[in-house]
Amino acid sequence: MSTHKKINTEAVKSVLYPVLFGVLIFLLWEFGVLNTILHTDTNILPPPSRIASIVAENSSKIADNLSATMTVILIGLAAGSVLGYLAAMFATRFPYFGSGALTVLSVFNAIPIVALAPVFNNWTKDVSSQADVRSTVAKILVVTVVCSASMSINAYRGLTELKPFSLDLMKSYAADNKTIFMKLRFRNSVPYIFTSLKVSVPTSVITALVSEYFAEYRAGIGRQIRDNISIAQYSSGWAYIVVACLIGIAMYIILMIFEGIFVKRTS
Amino acid sequence: MTKFKNIRHSKYFNTFLWIVILIIAWEIGATAVAATKRSPENILPHLSGIIKSIISTDTINGSQTALQMVLINAQATISRALIGFAIGTALGFILALLMSRFKTVEKVAFPYLMIIQMIPILGMAPLIFAITQDISKSRIIIAAILTFYPVATNTLAGFRSVEKEKHELMESYAANSFQTYVKTMIPASIPYFFTGLKISAPMAITASILVDTLQGGVGLGCLLSQALKGAMSRYVFWQIVFLSAFIGIFSFLLMGFIEYLICPYKRRGKNQD
Amino acid sequence: MSDMLNTEIMLKDIGMVYRTNDGRDVTALTGVSLDVHKGDFVSLLGPSGCGKTTLLRIIADLLQPTSGEITVAGGTSREARLSKKYGIVFQSPVLYDWRTIKKNVMLPLEIMHIPKAEREDRAMKMLELVGLTDFANHYPKQLSGGMQQRVGIARALAIQPQILLMDEPFSALDEFTKEKLHEDLLRIWAKTNKTIIFVTHNIQEAVFLSNKVCVLSPHPGRLSALIDIDLPRPRTMDIKETPEFTAYVSKVRNSFEGV
Repeated sequence: MSTHKKINTEAVKSVLYPVLFGVLIFLLWEFGVLNTILHTDTNILPPPSRIASIVAENSSKIADNLSATMTVILIGLAAGSVLGYLAAMFATRFPYFGSGALTVLSVFNAIPIVALAPVFNNWTKDVSSQADVRSTVAKILVVTVVCSASMSINAYRGLTELKPFSLDLMKSYAADNKTIFMKLRFRNSVPYIFTSLKVSVPTSVITALVSEYFAEYRAGIGRQIRDNISIAQYSSGWAYIVVACLIGIAMYIILMIFEGIFVKRTS
Repeated sequence: MTKFKNIRHSKYFNTFLWIVILIIAWEIGATAVAATKRSPENILPHLSGIIKSIISTDTINGSQTALQMVLINAQATISRALIGFAIGTALGFILALLMSRFKTVEKVAFPYLMIIQMIPILGMAPLIFAITQDISKSRIIIAAILTFYPVATNTLAGFRSVEKEKHELMESYAANSFQTYVKTMIPASIPYFFTGLKISAPMAITASILVDTLQGGVGLGCLLSQALKGAMSRYVFWQIVFLSAFIGIFSFLLMGFIEYLICPYKRRGKNQD
Repeated sequence: MSDMLNTEIMLKDIGMVYRTNDGRDVTALTGVSLDVHKGDFVSLLGPSGCGKTTLLRIIADLLQPTSGEITVAGGTSREARLSKKYGIVFQSPVLYDWRTIKKNVMLPLEIMHIPKAEREDRAMKMLELVGLTDFANHYPKQLSGGMQQRVGIARALAIQPQILLMDEPFSALDEFTKEKLHEDLLRIWAKTNKTIIFVTHNIQEAVFLSNKVCVLSPHPGRLSALIDIDLPRPRTMDIKETPEFTAYVSKVRNSFEGV
């Protein structure tokens, strides 16, 4: 009986400890202790309750910026992932050329977003006469590039690192490439797709926010954080930071739910 | 003939081939832009133009050439990134150590490590700047946070990767926990630790450049903002783009190289069977 | 009961009960009593789930039995572990990838704070014993599975223990390598005079190596037979062709209860 009890208390502890820690930080923050520690006034570091009330007051303005940012994140993430997967399929079909391309891509992964964003702004000047449209396209392209790198590398592993003899089995059935892809490679790559998304979902959020800094047209959560703080509207800045964090957390949780559904079914 | 075949089939040749393809594609694009646009260097200059601007001895602001200017600013950015990277690495490693040693620390810290991974830290850069009121401190703090969590999570994974039998072996030798860490846990975590460093090194650079853009002064990011506003030759902008890409890639490769140096066992040939 | 002075390991009514995550009790071992003499080669033989590996870990003081008494090398199992009375070899070689072969063998000696010169000396002697002198400066990944397991044996012997505990050490190796290592192990045993406890699920292996085979049966894990193997020594591969060997194999096989 004692062992049984112990397991339960362990489970309770793993929830309780972090929650208590969070509550402690929250209280220290709310009642100004954090301000004393960090030597800041409540203007720069407002208590959570004030941040919450600002989020509530500005909900319609926040919603506009949120939709601008989400458009960039979702289209960029989708386009980048599809492109990355297609690149991985290409590399699987033509291993000689493909593997080299993936090496180059993985190295490109290390290029700072800060260097990419202004370049894409330059390249999309002729896309539209409207500043908001061409800015959105530029931002989407940056997110696309960043997401496609991580997807192509992971998907390639998923398409090629097959269970031993499974390819031999397919060949013994005289299966053609299409069948091998559908029945074997695609199935095998599903967990790897999620591995890639776990990297690229947070990256897409941060890339969208940062590319907003450089965009011609002022829109989006990231740009609001920066602009509000530069005019000393710290509370509004905090409100947008909270929203940005919520986007990151929400997207990650949705991803975990999808992973739970799809990976369980295929493996 | 076989020698040529070997070269042709080596991974390096293949990578090299792709770099050549990219250069050709860039040049084709640059030629097309040059034919249709009034100021092509704003959109896609020829690589030769960028190289020319790098080796040019003409001064831009009266005393410095474009390259000197870029490098002086890069120095400020990289040194801050490096300090932040070092602090973040140390903190990340220590936290991983504490988490593996004390269950309570792990219970408290692990969910927060997961959350840090999900939230856009870089987006908070303006705020950290507002709190610290100091551009160098902000660069160091952001670079440190971004380094800290990949190092902590990967090193912790390294500690957890140690097989049950290795722990039993240590127990059978009646090793104390200090010996277990020094002889078994820490060496086993080294490859994982470097995985963390390879992720965080380019991130620390990105962070440092981004924080630069928040304020005037010295730094690659400041120079980038000024160049974008047209305050100086457009080639300064392209030099910064290529240099920051190079630093990012170089920092990633450098971590791999250091790992290669301190892990001789990874270099030797494989199984004899 | 036999002469206490001659007894290396004594198990008295050992029981082991696990509690699973859903709160059920599982009896891994019940009522195991066994005397192992100094210099014995004892096999713990049984199918998976019979608790043979659990029993080995109880002797090694890596697990605590829920009931019963245990004496190892004249003291408690804990005292035996703390004073390095046994060396242990696992199913996988459990080598340290980042250490050379020689340094792998030196690992336990470093933990015992033995001076460097003596560490080197002992490690080289052990490598000579297992025939790997030429590979001292190689890394584990460069060695075949059989060679890696030899390093594991050298490492276990390096602390100069009275007892060698072996947990299915050859089960992952191919038949040819395994036979070679059987002969080598018998040679090392004859030369060093250790007490060996050898866990296996292979009847032929148990009969060929041991002078005593403990047959364990599962659900719950218990000692179902104790068979002395009186085959002449030194034993070579040829012995497997003899009718005596075959008779022992049949005897052991027939001793299993409804498995």
